[in-house]
Amino acid sequence: MSHTGQDTDPAVAPASGPDHEFQTHVADGKLWLQHCKDCDTAIFMPRVLCPSCASLALEWRPASGLGTIYSQATLRPRAKPGAPERPPHSVVLVDLDEGPRMMSHLPGVSPEDIHIGMRVRARIDGDTGSHLVAFFPEESQP
Amino acid sequence: MTSPSPLRGKSAIVGVGTAGLGEAPGFNAMDIQALAVRAALDDAGLSLTDVDGLFCANMSHTFPAISTVEYLGLNPRWIDGTNTGGSSFVAHALSATMALEAGLCDVALICYGATMRSGAGRMVPPAEQPAYEVPHGPRYPMTAYALAAARHMAQFGTTREQLAAVAVAARDWARLNPDAFERDPLSVEEVLASRMVMEPLSLRDCCLLTDGAGAIVMTRADRARDLAHKPAYFLGGGVASYNRAISEMPDLTSTAAKDSGKRAFTMAGLSQGDIDILQLYDAFTINVILFLEDLGFCPKGEGGAFVQDGRIAPGGALPVNTNGGGLSFCHPGMYGVFTLIEATRQLRGAAEARQVDKADTVLCHGNGITLSHQATAIFGSDNAL
Repeated sequence: MSHTGQDTDPAVAPASGPDHEFQTHVADGKLWLQHCKDCDTAIFMPRVLCPSCASLALEWRPASGLGTIYSQATLRPRAKPGAPERPPHSVVLVDLDEGPRMMSHLPGVSPEDIHIGMRVRARIDGDTGSHLVAFFPEESQP
Repeated sequence: MTSPSPLRGKSAIVGVGTAGLGEAPGFNAMDIQALAVRAALDDAGLSLTDVDGLFCANMSHTFPAISTVEYLGLNPRWIDGTNTGGSSFVAHALSATMALEAGLCDVALICYGATMRSGAGRMVPPAEQPAYEVPHGPRYPMTAYALAAARHMAQFGTTREQLAAVAVAARDWARLNPDAFERDPLSVEEVLASRMVMEPLSLRDCCLLTDGAGAIVMTRADRARDLAHKPAYFLGGGVASYNRAISEMPDLTSTAAKDSGKRAFTMAGLSQGDIDILQLYDAFTINVILFLEDLGFCPKGEGGAFVQDGRIAPGGALPVNTNGGGLSFCHPGMYGVFTLIEATRQLRGAAEARQVDKADTVLCHGNGITLSHQATAIFGSDNAL
């Protein structure tokens, strides 16, 4: 086991940095979140300690992947003479059912088909080591 | 009533200066900052050798305070380079007051300069951006403010027309300010018809991108009374921050200005009804609505209705951003120092065509990064002490 500093209790010190652990966990195609074993807070972005209670006792658990769009902003690129038109791009904030909020986007979904309050489901995109959490519309509304 | 803060009224802004407003081709950030510093010192009747406390921040230098020391040939006893984004300078007014009152310095200089318009021609983002946001394609800072605006609209029914009223009020003030960058008439219809940039924010919902530098000089209040101009006394200040990334912000419709404002009002022993003029960092139109709510000038969710009928424009009941703000006066990346400069000019009664009749108290509010850090400072004339 690698150690993270002489003053950290080896029983609770993480084996590696949380960014690395996040990449390792989501490689199975599912969203994983850290949870605090002391106060049960679900945590994103990944950290070495709980931002609610400072506990180092965090564990990775698979998340439901379900969430609700909290807000949406859509870039409307300016048309440049002679250049191909660039499509609009929506960035969203998603409130995960477990609690944390994350920035994301919905690949291939038109901004007009995205709205605040919409239910979405996570999917893992990107290559090994640089995975990211994208979302797509959840068809079955709760 | 709690006893007044030991910092209330103990310092004052005694000199203000600007330089390179709009476009300053051929100059760099340190050049125009030095011109603004010289103007502020001349205004105060002080010299560079009097300056023994330095407060500065910027986005062009990794060590802005130290580069400023070198450029100006300073030998300060106290240096504060705290960088909280565009709010830094409003926060520095509180730190400078502490340093002055503690005897760590006698003449405090707060300064900023940037040449983003003639330099890069775009907003130069900080080197480090939130790692879990970047892969999704945000454009900083616009995306963050558009997310806040969209949420405010969805939650409270705030309209694009109400956002546009903020831009129009800023322009109407700018038309009274010969130093303002944008002085052509602007209507709500023109704001709505301007190019959609980051929905729901159109081009005219976004601040300018200009060059510009600003500087203020502060001393203890007793010395301020012996200098050239009417002092702009520091009455209270506060800062607050919960997050760096917009995705980490607990509630996008409610900023840390709630806390920074409460702290400033408590220190000043004042309430909202005591404030004559507001200078609110308006990087985007939504900012003014958020800060009017969070600073307690109207209930949460009612900021849109509050601004829509000219209340914050020239002739309105609550003058806001009397210089034209970041939307129409100037916005060189970090705007906070200009709130302090305009507050001082109003308190002196030296704001010419845009002078507000009753100007005994001014609240300055600085916003940093992407609604990430908030700083509030309240200043007053002799009558407010």
